[in-house]
Amino acid sequence: MSHHEVGQSDYGTGQKKLGMYLAGVISCIILTIIAFWAVLSDRFSRQEILIIIFSAAIIQFLVQVICFLRLTTETEQGKTNVMSFIFTGVILLCFVVGSLWIMNNLNYYTLI
Amino acid sequence: MHNQAAIVDEHHHHDSDATDVFGFWLYILTDCILFGTLFSTFLVLNYPGSPGPILKNYSNLHDILIETFLLLASNFTFCLASLNLYKDKLCKVQLWLVLTFLFGAGFVFMEVSEFIHMAHEGFRWDVSGQISAFFTLVGTHGLHVSFGLLWILVMIIQLPLLKITAITKRRMTYLGLFWNFLDIVWIFVFTIVYLMGAM
Repeated sequence: MSHHEVGQSDYGTGQKKLGMYLAGVISCIILTIIAFWAVLSDRFSRQEILIIIFSAAIIQFLVQVICFLRLTTETEQGKTNVMSFIFTGVILLCFVVGSLWIMNNLNYYTLI
Repeated sequence: MHNQAAIVDEHHHHDSDATDVFGFWLYILTDCILFGTLFSTFLVLNYPGSPGPILKNYSNLHDILIETFLLLASNFTFCLASLNLYKDKLCKVQLWLVLTFLFGAGFVFMEVSEFIHMAHEGFRWDVSGQISAFFTLVGTHGLHVSFGLLWILVMIIQLPLLKITAITKRRMTYLGLFWNFLDIVWIFVFTIVYLMGAM
């Protein structure tokens, strides 16, 4: 029952543990350094850099969401949070990709 | 009978608290959409070969790296503050909140001085659409951080007055979500704006 007691005051944000935060902050530092290093060293081609920095950003995003925001699907509240989070992700994807697609197309046809 | 009523009341109170926090979470998600629109504007206006000065010549990636670490450090110290909050150690909570404030203030200070430096060099928001988009995106993030700092300051003053109660814990939860969200947005700002711009 101890789990339930902790869950009382966290609003579906998960249990607070120092180890999780430490793991989060260390992996974020490493990922940030990797991304900056890839750009600052002249070792990689443009495409390689793009792949490295975007994978670093996406992994860091997931690390922050899991370690700091503590999104979990363990509790009912947590599930609602995750569902709204995914919904926002879908909306974001629609209009960011959509805008780029439309504008790119427009650019392509007006240049002809 | 009385006891049972109290339990029901407590339960109801907790439920409405959870609804409040969920509401704040929804606000954070709508703020994500705001940033999403600014990001797509920035990306559309920043097509390769667009006219006007380019960011690469005016920004220093080492400064951006320091800013990133400042924001990450302030995020971590805030987590430590909320950890101590649940152990009811008021002094430590305040200490970590002050550190969070200092790191955050360092971030805003570096960003503003960077903006001033850029404007002096001729990288002004009225020069091209691309630069307007840059200042709108990064500026909106900076403004959010500044408001977050104000909020942290309010919490530092409020905590010793109100002590650690269910209400202050709820407020700290809001602040934690907000502060964390700003760091998450910053990941995409430095990747899309600065790192992609520097290539």
